[in-house]
Parts: sequence; structure tokens; C-alpha cells
Amino acid sequence: MGRQVAIASAGFSEHASKRSDVSMPELVSEAIEDCLKNAPSVELGDIDAFVNGNMPAFEGSNIPELWMTDWMGARNKPLLRVTTGGTTGGSVAISGYYTVAAGLPGVDTVLAVAFEQQSQGDTSVGLASVAYGEISILNTLGIPYERISRLLSAGAAIGVAAYQATTYMNKTRISEEDLARVVVQNRRNAAKTWWAHLKMPNLTIEEVLDTPYVQYPLRYGMVCPASDGACVMLFTTEEKAKEMCDIPVYVNGVASVANESAVLGYDGSGSAQIDPSMQLGAIRSSELAYKQAGISFPRKEIDYAEVYAPFPNQQLLWTEKLGLFEEGTAPAMHEAGITDFNGELPVNCSGGVNSTNAIGASAMERPAEAALQIMGKASNQVPKTVHTSIGSGWGGSLNLITLMAMSDQPQRKWR
Amino acid sequence: MSKMTQRKSLDYVKKEYVRTRTQPGSWYLSSYNYKFNITHMKPFLAKLKEKKLVANQCSSCNRVFFPPRLVCGKCLVKPDKWVDIRETASVSTYAISYLKDPETGEVQERPMVLVHHDGADTVSIAELSPDVNVKDTYVGMPIIAHWKDERVGGLVDIEYYDKYKDDSDDIRYKK
Amino acid sequence: MQKVGIVGYYQVKLYSDANYGRYEMIFEASRGALDKAGLKKKDISTVISCTNDYYDGRTISNCFTVEVGGGYMADESKVEMDGAHAVLYGLMRVLSGNHNLALVWGGSMASCYPYHSARLYETDPTWERPLAYVNDITSAGFQMRAYMEKYGVTVEDIAKVAVKNKKNAAKNPLALKEAQLPNLTVKDVLDSGIYSDPVTELMAAPPCDSVAALLLAPEKQALKITDRPVWIKGVGYSQEPYYLGDRDLSGCKSMNLAGKMAYAGAGIKDPSSEIDVAELFEACAHEELIFAEELGFAKKGKGAEINSAINGDLPINPSGGALGGHPPCGTGLIRIIEAVKQLTGEAGQYQVKGAKKAVASGQIGMCAQNNILYVLEAN
Repeated sequence: MGRQVAIASAGFSEHASKRSDVSMPELVSEAIEDCLKNAPSVELGDIDAFVNGNMPAFEGSNIPELWMTDWMGARNKPLLRVTTGGTTGGSVAISGYYTVAAGLPGVDTVLAVAFEQQSQGDTSVGLASVAYGEISILNTLGIPYERISRLLSAGAAIGVAAYQATTYMNKTRISEEDLARVVVQNRRNAAKTWWAHLKMPNLTIEEVLDTPYVQYPLRYGMVCPASDGACVMLFTTEEKAKEMCDIPVYVNGVASVANESAVLGYDGSGSAQIDPSMQLGAIRSSELAYKQAGISFPRKEIDYAEVYAPFPNQQLLWTEKLGLFEEGTAPAMHEAGITDFNGELPVNCSGGVNSTNAIGASAMERPAEAALQIMGKASNQVPKTVHTSIGSGWGGSLNLITLMAMSDQPQRKWR
Repeated sequence: MSKMTQRKSLDYVKKEYVRTRTQPGSWYLSSYNYKFNITHMKPFLAKLKEKKLVANQCSSCNRVFFPPRLVCGKCLVKPDKWVDIRETASVSTYAISYLKDPETGEVQERPMVLVHHDGADTVSIAELSPDVNVKDTYVGMPIIAHWKDERVGGLVDIEYYDKYKDDSDDIRYKK
Repeated sequence: MQKVGIVGYYQVKLYSDANYGRYEMIFEASRGALDKAGLKKKDISTVISCTNDYYDGRTISNCFTVEVGGGYMADESKVEMDGAHAVLYGLMRVLSGNHNLALVWGGSMASCYPYHSARLYETDPTWERPLAYVNDITSAGFQMRAYMEKYGVTVEDIAKVAVKNKKNAAKNPLALKEAQLPNLTVKDVLDSGIYSDPVTELMAAPPCDSVAALLLAPEKQALKITDRPVWIKGVGYSQEPYYLGDRDLSGCKSMNLAGKMAYAGAGIKDPSSEIDVAELFEACAHEELIFAEELGFAKKGKGAEINSAINGDLPINPSGGALGGHPPCGTGLIRIIEAVKQLTGEAGQYQVKGAKKAVASGQIGMCAQNNILYVLEAN
């Protein structure tokens, strides 16, 4: 059952804090043009089906894929919409994989589209209303409104990440300077990526530490920006991919596992994630994806990783939880230069989410960049040859991890 | 918005793009009614009035939920036992949020703590006593619930958490 | 396409104002589906859910529902269209060979928000929304008028569909109580309040509260779980262009293409004789006639001539259809469940005798912009 899936191309639109020159459908068509430019033999009419996703609460438009049918070229074609909050891009990419792997008759080539135009709406309202329903319950049960306004930030990613940061820093005994070093590496890498948002080639650690706190222990200089942008990936079968590009990238393992609600819990009932930096969901996701991909020793077999880290402590955390480094050793590895551009296991050479965060699209940009590194077409291409890479996504209120493991060799053994 | 994030938006403002027409609109959250269950909360709230803490427990995985939970996700059943919970707890993790007061404009420093009661398997958000300096808190700090003088049977009956005497303070690793 | 079977299902009764909390309803549906199949939580391999942010009034409305929906530490994802599209994603996950049991649930509580106002947010914010002429009811009015003018169908023919469906709903114990009207007449339908001429109140599907869930498994596992699995033989889905002016409103091209794709997968050459029962999601009464024509049950314009009663030639919506109650994000899933009930003989008073093949449909968008169709067959 099922068949091997390959990625033939990936494309991006330019990301900026306010893309006031395009509407949402035009932003998507910009990314689709870039994707088809990388695979010149494919035309829009060759696409058999579409998958689309974004976070609808930020723009004030419900199910916008209906509006942008013609801009995507999806007129009279099958289309499915997948949204999972912060991990939407990763889920759309995984759903693009499943659409091809299922082998429905006549559906061989699938375009996966993820986008976000946050400047159209009010991001803080969108983020606050994640937990609004649960918090209004707490209000009815007696908690006064001033206390609730502080809890509102617990629903957003920054609330959950700050708790993760405290426990992680307590375990590994790192300081804020180590976090700032990660930020500097990310922003300098973003300067070489054409589509990234915050390009700062000359950033220093002192400049990062000079900003006020958003939520202890994270400072303004360390957090990700809010960007507008879109990302598109082209999934197809093994045979067709060989005609579309020189080095097809085979998708060998996918997983998206969540543990439980973090911090707040449903109906205000708290969370069973006592140690927020434990991340059972990430461990299970990586187990499932690596088993499907036939990866037994992630540290040795994976050549490049794009981990979803809007905050610098998470870049260190996920490299441990996804099996790349031993527990508690990620800061030492980072300081030793193993995750550098020239290092043994480069991480986030596109600048990562820390430099560009269009919420709906960013979890897809991670597997897209990882795939382009295998193809040799990334804008910040690492010097070593990349054979196997992973791209991950993270969702805030739930600690949902989406993971896609790719390689230039197809994996057929386990079926 | 800090200087760091503002930079990129100005580039696009200066470019000679044809601008799109902007249209105002809003998303009315106030017209929604949120319905939720209170069947699992009622015994808990009644006991709060008597200064007693109870939690419910799932009999198939034996996890204890404090505050009480409707469904145990691991086993997909409703927890059916009620157990007593101690007032002592420990800090599981903490963060400090800096919120701008909309009226006065000053930035307030408010600590938020995730509290792990002894005997429970879940954490919940709470406040610390105003006497405790947030910068002194550490992961694992022992605390105890401080009851309000007049209790109404709501979640606010535990006003905040006091620092509890810590015998191992002198042999602990310093930060 | 390899065989995938539906092995369990559960539908919470439709209420106009349920005395349930949101999480309790979802828990009841997923637990009920597992109990019907006799399986445990540990057997679930993947979970797909279907909710909508604007209908629930929360951003990422599906994030806190993971535990109650059976998704704890399971590979899960979420779809934001109709429940029938969530079944499609579950089907794709099972067909890929990665998963052996998929749980799909969907639904929302329409008593918590003004449904028709929330539908306004689907419109194009730059042009249509400020003008506020196009919403789900007025666009249904456009389509009904176009259909009636082109083929000479009268408004009484369309009202007869509403009468039939509300009578059928009276035989369905799980349908909405306010929609169970066994003594309804055509005059009552035409006299009920005008929503947007010619659409009247009793012709439009009433939004309500419910959640439904079902289980999918590949062939080998399905035969171990139950001796009456229902096979999904074919599926088709398609999306029309968005602006009403770009479409031919007297028909529904997306249902036509979805039908072609599904029939090709199932090997059906003559739908009107091979299909025994149809459960179609009609957001407004005239859509049932248009869909019946596009799916090949009748010639264009002759949809009103099909004998679609429960004991007729081709019963359509014996459970009452969406006119018997429409929980947003769950209606398509309920249509599939009703078709499964017909094929396993568990439909009670509204059972169609000897049903072997059925179709079930779901839709999303104004005037059914995106349609999905399943062809189901009994074991």
C-alpha cells in the first residue's frame, strides 16, 4: 500500500514586516511562481491537486483558500485545507506527502501552499484569543479579570516558551549570553538568505542583550519578528520527480505528535507537562519519523537540520529532543562550532524562525529549506554535501511537533 | 516594536510599489458564548470553601489531576476517584511578564509561576506572595497555599502561595 | 485504490441548544466510536479532527481538543473544512500504509455563536464584504433563481424537497427536534419567513450542536474488527472558482467533477441504476435537486421528477439530510455515517430495503464551492 513520494521543488515569497504591496492571494501566487521557476518543466496545469493552510484568525478571513482559488490555479481541481495553528506549514507539507502517497487515481502531483499575512490583522488579539475560551471559564469560576489579562499571554507561544526556557536554563546552567550567541548566528545566516526578514550581518551579542525583557528570561532582541510571507512545495511520485529536477528529494518519514496542552490546559485544568522542557511529543515524533525513514543513528546519519525555534533556547532544546545531541550538551556543541555553517551538523543556516516568522508558513519553510539543501539550490548552501536532512515544526499551546525526514535515496524497505 | 524589528518594514514603505486599497474590518469575539462543563468542578469548588483541597484520579493510569479534569487523555475515560491533596507544593517553573498598564503607561513586572502540588501529576498557573522577590525563586522551591480569609467557593480562594521553610537551602547549588 | 473500511461510528444527538460542554461532546463521540468497534484508545494510530476557528470563537480552536478527541501521543492533524474532508485526510493516511486505524471526528456548537454572521468572514474582504450583498443565504437565493429560470422548475417543486426531508427527519431519532415535522405541507414551507427571496426559512438548513466520529481501517484489519465493514470504493473532490459571476449557478460543476472522479475510482458506469441510496449535504433545498442531476441520477432540469422518498426508486436523504439539522463542520461526516447505517441495516425506521451501494457528500463554501463525494459499498 502506498508509494514513494518525492519533493521536486520549493519556493518562497519575499518576507517583510508589512507586505502592503500585495493582497493575500497575490502573495501566494508570488511564492508559486518562485516554486515553478525552480522546476522549469512543470506548468500550473500539470498540478493534479492542492493543499492549502494558514492561521485564519490573524487576517480576519475565514477559509481564505476559497477566495484565492484562481490565484493558485486551483480552478476545478481538488483542494484540501489543513490548519493546525503554529505548525500549519508543517502539517500542510505532511498532508501534501499523504495526498501523493495515498495514490488516489489521477492524483500524482500536489502543490502544498502555506502563507500568512499578519499585517492585515491584529496579531496580539489573535494570539490572546487562543486561550480566551478557557480563560473566560476561569473568570466564571471566580478569578478576577486583572489576573486573567496576565494569563492571556500564556496561550501564546511566548508564554509557553518562557517556561521552557526557565527549566532548560536551570538544567543546563547556561546564561543569557549563550542564548544571545544563538541569536547572532541566526541573524547573520539570514543575511545570506534572499527571502528572510531580519537580515543583520553585523549583529553582536552586546546589542542583543541591550534590549528590555519581553518575558523573563527572553529579551526583545531574542524573539522572532512577525512577518508576511508564503511558502510552496511541490510533491510528486518518484518517476515524475526524476523528470522535473536533477536531484529529487525523497520524503521518507513524517510524524506530528502532541503530548498534552501545555501550561493552561483545557477548561483551565492545568497541564500534565510538569517539566516543560521534557517534550514527550518531540521524542515520540522523532521515534515515528526515524523508524519510517530507516534512520537508526540520527547524530551520524543526518547531515543538516532545520529546527523550528522562534526563541533561541528552543534551538538548543530541539536539537537534543529530536535525537541529534545528548541531553544537556547542545550549548556545548553550539559553542564548539559543530552547528555552524562550516560545521559537522549545520543547523538553521537559513536564519531559522528566529529571523523570519510568518506563522502559517514558517513550519513549512523548515522542510523546504532542508530539501533545497539536498538539491543544492538553497540560497545559503552549506559546503558539505547533504544527503539526509530533517525539518521540524513546533506549536505553542500544545507542544505539537511536526517532523519530516528527507533524503536523496528512497526508503522502501519498511512497507 | 523594538528598533530591530522595525527596520525591514521601512524598506518596503519606500519602494515604488502600487499599494493595495485597505479596508477596515473586525472580528467580534464578544458575540460568542462559551459553554463548558462544571460537573467535574463542583465538588472541588465546594471543598475549597472548607479550606480542603481535592483532586480527581483516573483509575486506569492512576494519574492525579489538580485542578480536576473532565477526561483523562491517556486512557480516554473520565476520572472516577477523588483524593485529598496537600497544601504544600513546589515551583515547577516560572516566568516574569512585563505588561504595560493601559491607563498609566508604566511597565509592570508580574511573576507567573507553575505550581506542582505534592501528590498531584499536573501543574497549574498561580501567583506568588507579594513578599517573595521573584528573582530569588528557583525551580523546585517549596511553597504553601495561602487561603483567603473569606472564601466563596471559587478558584480565587487560594489567594497566592507563600514561601515554605526550606531545610536544604544551605546545601543547594547556587546559580 | 485499495479497500479501506469504515468500522465504527458514533453521532451525538442534534440539539439546538445542547446542555453539554464542548469537550464533553467530543469525548462522547470519540469514546462512542471506539466502543462500537470494541477497540481501545491504544489501538488508535492517527486522529484527524475538523473544527473552524470562526465557528468556535477561539484561535486554533482545535488545539485544546487533542486529549478529549483521543489524540494523546498519537500522530494527529486537523482539517478546517467539512467533516467529510476530514474523512478524506484520514483515508489518505490509511491508504499510505503508515497507519492501521484512523479516528476522524468533527462538529461544533452553533448555539454558541451567530452562524450566519460568522459565515460573512468567508467573503473577500476587499470587495464583497464591505458591500455585504453576498452571504451564504443571498448566494443560495441567486442559485435557486438561476436554476428555476433555466429549467422552468417551480418553487413548489423545491418546497416538496423540504417537506420530504423534514418528514424523513421525524423518523430519525437523532435529528434536530425542531426539524422533525411529519405534518409539514408545501404551503407551510412557502409561508415560513422569507430569508432572501426565494429562499424561505424552512428551506435553509438549520444550524445546531453536535459532534460525530468514525473509524477507518485497511482491509485486513477491518475484517478483524467487525464482520460488517463498509468499504469506501471511490472518492472525488473538486473546487469551483470563487466569484459568483465566474460560475454557472444553474448547475454545480464541482459536484459534477467530484462525481466523475469518485465514479471512476469505484467503477460505476450508470449511477441512476447502480446506486441504491444517496445522502447529500444540501445547505438549501434546491441544492439536492442540482446535485442529483450533476451526479447522473436524472437529466439536467429533471431533478424534481426523481422519486426520492424512502420507498421510492432512488431514495435521497432518508435521514432528513442537512435540513434535519446542520452542525457546522460535522454535517458531511454525519451524511457518511447515515449512508453507513443504511448499508449495514442499522437505520431503523428510515431504512432503505436492500441497499448495497450508496453515495455520501459534503461541501464547503458559498453555493457549494468545494464538494466531496464518496461511493460506499456494503461488504
